[in-house]
Amino acid sequence: MTVLIGIDAQAIAEAEASIAQVGDRYTRRLSTDEEPATCGNGPAALAQGLAGRFATKEAVLKILNVGDVVPAWRSVEIRGTTTGRPEVALGGEAVALARRQGITSLSLSLTRDGGIAAAAVVATVSPLDSDSP
Amino acid sequence: MTDVNALIRGVLEQQGRLPESPTKLRDDEDLYASGLSSHASVNVMLALEDTFDVEFPDSMLRKSTFQSIGSIRDALASLGVVVDPS
Repeated sequence: MTVLIGIDAQAIAEAEASIAQVGDRYTRRLSTDEEPATCGNGPAALAQGLAGRFATKEAVLKILNVGDVVPAWRSVEIRGTTTGRPEVALGGEAVALARRQGITSLSLSLTRDGGIAAAAVVATVSPLDSDSP
Repeated sequence: MTDVNALIRGVLEQQGRLPESPTKLRDDEDLYASGLSSHASVNVMLALEDTFDVEFPDSMLRKSTFQSIGSIRDALASLGVVVDPS
């Protein structure tokens, strides 16, 4: 089995400043409709949550090895689960990029400390069919 | 006529978090190589939308769109912003 790893970090204060400056528009451009509600209550929780989600999206984009055609941030969604372990769901162009690389699953670990939100994403890859285009 | 490049530099000055003033950057200089982060590019994009009253569609959210002052200028022109002839 082959694995690919993506990692990224985001300063929470930068997300907080962006929310204060442009508010909903910042949230809407970066998040799916469901993501803000999963960040918790209050502006501090929203900034922490969105910073972690932005780091995750960037980590996933590193794994997808995007060139100039970068999928929209909204095409990478972070979902909470009943077990407490967050999951990554892809949509749009991100799905096609993942398929092209033979990615079969994505695992996510999120942390925050010292004003930084960090995400590590591991992708499992199956060998592509040699007859595939 | 509005000096589009000057307005772009103003947005970069306020939102780009660049280590060097954008006034010192050439129009074709690589902004990412000059220190523009992904998150800062989001703020630059939103500030450009406010400044020029446009909205970047998802199809334009490419690294190359925000690669340089010149590429931003070209993107704005494609969204209908009237720019000076180069």
